[in-house]
Amino acid sequence: MGEDRALMIEVINLHKYFKDHHVLKGLNQKVYKSEVVAMIGPSGAGKSTFLRCLNRLEEPSLGKILIEGTDITATRTDINKVRTEIGMVFQSFNLFPHLTALQNIKLAPINVRRMSEKDAEERGRQLLKKVGLQEKANAYPDQLSGGQQQRVAIARALAMQPHMIFFDEPTSALDPEMIREVLDVMDNLAKEGMTMLVVSHEIGFIREAATRILVLADGCIIEEGTPNEVLKHPQHSRTQDFLSKIV
Amino acid sequence: MANIKQTPIRESFAKRYRARFGHLPWFKRYECLIPLSIIILLIGFLLLPPLGKPTPLQWLWIGVFLILLILWVVGILTDIEKPRWIRAIAAISFVFVLGFFFYRYSGAQWDKLTTNFFNLSVMEGLWGDLGQGLLMTLKVALVSMCISLVLGLVIAILRSLNNPILNVFLIIYIDFFRAIPLIVLVVFVFYALPFLGIELDPYISAVVAVSLSYAAYVAEVIRAGIESIYRGQVEASRALGLSSMQTMRLVILPQAVRVVIPPTTGLMVGLLKDTALTTIIGLPELLYKGIQNTIWQSNPTPLVAAAVLYIIVLLPLTRFSGYLETRSKKWVKTAR
Repeated sequence: MGEDRALMIEVINLHKYFKDHHVLKGLNQKVYKSEVVAMIGPSGAGKSTFLRCLNRLEEPSLGKILIEGTDITATRTDINKVRTEIGMVFQSFNLFPHLTALQNIKLAPINVRRMSEKDAEERGRQLLKKVGLQEKANAYPDQLSGGQQQRVAIARALAMQPHMIFFDEPTSALDPEMIREVLDVMDNLAKEGMTMLVVSHEIGFIREAATRILVLADGCIIEEGTPNEVLKHPQHSRTQDFLSKIV
Repeated sequence: MANIKQTPIRESFAKRYRARFGHLPWFKRYECLIPLSIIILLIGFLLLPPLGKPTPLQWLWIGVFLILLILWVVGILTDIEKPRWIRAIAAISFVFVLGFFFYRYSGAQWDKLTTNFFNLSVMEGLWGDLGQGLLMTLKVALVSMCISLVLGLVIAILRSLNNPILNVFLIIYIDFFRAIPLIVLVVFVFYALPFLGIELDPYISAVVAVSLSYAAYVAEVIRAGIESIYRGQVEASRALGLSSMQTMRLVILPQAVRVVIPPTTGLMVGLLKDTALTTIIGLPELLYKGIQNTIWQSNPTPLVAAAVLYIIVLLPLTRFSGYLETRSKKWVKTAR
């Protein structure tokens, strides 16, 4: 599937140990441009660890990870450069509390991309408008609701014009009425053709937006397929078990 | 039920009083506290002896008075529902009475104390000399503050790099200078370094010793501040492609500074006081002047005056640190 499109991520035999704990047990995966890959599975399955290995927030113990052809596990690779092409959105938002929403967005373009103050400001305001928060440009994170903070965090990730975005349980820390506004933003990104890896249990969103689902359990990918296949006709007994618990 | 609510029955005063205060134990109730205050006032004005050494019978009255007073104060202060002003009056009058009793019945020789320690006539013509001492104290303190803050910040940042070899040296530095008594260090720098070919005058010796010592304290405080910043902040910053130094400069330090300012101000207060230790190498700072004039005048009043000057300089600083503390608590996101 999708062989004609550019290969964005290639993971070859990825292992991760935390001391003696074997978290990822030899994962292999290819992600192509504009795919929206949703990862589901019971807690402790290694979904977040997998995601965080892909931009080396966690050091992979063994295996190879190619991001747009660059081997990020090689010592020669400038990981900061690779990270500029990967947006990351966290469960706990992790906005910088000493900066306003706009400053949060401008920080990386100015200091990493060496963008001019003026261009960064303009880009920042456009992005805030895109996530529906143009009037909150000068608000500090603690003056924003959880949903608003997460939308600013998405805008901050987009400001670097990344080629792909990782979402690590973006709505798990949100109150139910705020989940929708964040998912809408993500939905739009998916429609624009952004390559996305999403760890989430929002089945509605996954059914709508995901092109592929990976089911992880105990550090292995136990099942893989389109939302239709996996959600409607799960093959693996653990997938069936897991889905019956969350739907 | 609804009917009863709509037609309020005018309760009797006693009933309303019981509903309002009935849950209190007897010694917290007004019907106990009010007579008690009257009894305390009567004993206080009629039965307490005048200035001087009391007789055993008079001691008895003083004891009874104090026991009743303590009962009264406890009854008021342990009830947080009592109006603020009543509790304030109780607390203030209690402290005042204790002080007054000490003055009246301790048999202290107040006149001698005054002529020895608070003798303003001794101070005539000495204020200028003390003032010069104060200037020297401030000079040493300010220069040492600047040096120790910069040095401490550098050490803290180097420490946060987590380089194992570098850390060994930094930890040795920090532990050594925190463990060695400052007065020993001052003596060492002034008297021992000349044998190593480094001769420093008292002023430079003082600055070197105080700065080295306080840089170690400052480094530890700042390191704690850096480590208190939530790990997600680093992750978010690194995920955006910022280097570790940029993360430190743009994300961690601006937040850590706000955490660190109050304890650092506290350290600076300590630094200013500790400059007094440099008296031992003959630096003409405030304490030195105080001691010298005390010897010349054969009267310790200059020393007390020096203490007062220290307090006048330091009180605003301690208050300022308290102000910064309340202000910085507002939004800093620290480790969970």
